Amino acid sequence: MIDVVFLALSFFAIAGGVTMLLHKDPIYCALGLLISVLSVAGLFALLSATFMFMVQIIVYAGAIMTIILFILMFLNIRAEDLPKEPRKNILVTLGVIFMIPVNLLIMEGVTRLPDADMSITNKDGFGGIHALGMKLYQEWLLPFELISILLLVALVGAVVLAKRREKKKGINNV
Amino acid sequence: MSSLTGYAAVSMILFSLGAIGVVSRRNIFVIYMSIELMLNGINLFLVTFARYHFNMDGQIMSIMVIAIAAAEAAIFLSVIILLFKTKKSLDTNMFTQLKEEVK
Repeated sequence: MIDVVFLALSFFAIAGGVTMLLHKDPIYCALGLLISVLSVAGLFALLSATFMFMVQIIVYAGAIMTIILFILMFLNIRAEDLPKEPRKNILVTLGVIFMIPVNLLIMEGVTRLPDADMSITNKDGFGGIHALGMKLYQEWLLPFELISILLLVALVGAVVLAKRREKKKGINNV
Repeated sequence: MSSLTGYAAVSMILFSLGAIGVVSRRNIFVIYMSIELMLNGINLFLVTFARYHFNMDGQIMSIMVIAIAAAEAAIFLSVIILLFKTKKSLDTNMFTQLKEEVK
């Protein structure tokens, strides 16, 4: 049963990624990425990372994908704004050929690891919000604070970049 | 099938699709989405090994990656808006202000 769910989720994740890679229209690319992100959230749930499942859906599928779709519609992109990509298929084929050895190397390393139980578990609240929060605030406090500073800097930077506009003469020259 | 090898294979394929998208596409939106797909593959790898070792440090690193992806989304999309306003194009070959002049 778990195998069937795993196969379906991984199929959708990879199919969404391939759609994003090959489609010309950015809206369809965004929808393919959305399918991929949701399937990865399902895989997190299969790995008994319940809090990560929630975060993935809220942050990725909720916030980031909404921003991407919003910006796509806000910019009002027409067909003539899209770049012409005459050599796309050749470049994709070359990229696949170049990525195969890296994948084979990593798979070779992973298959040599001893087998372990990967079933869904809830022992000691593994992956739950309580255990994860205790770990985050006790052992990972400094990285957590640094990440919060990074998010603040990114917020200020985004506001500064997006707010820049030509000054009108006479008014609003504060 | 749903063993360590299966999850590692899926995450490596997602990462590779993202890397191929970054080098082969010219639409700046698709390049951004490819970066997101690469981060997703890495997240899946981290969470897989967190389950494999029954240790939640991998999940915490994955949360850090998601936070960095959110920060990157804000900056990247505002830069895309600025670039589109000045050049009226999504083609990365148009954005060559820092490139050396070829004579």
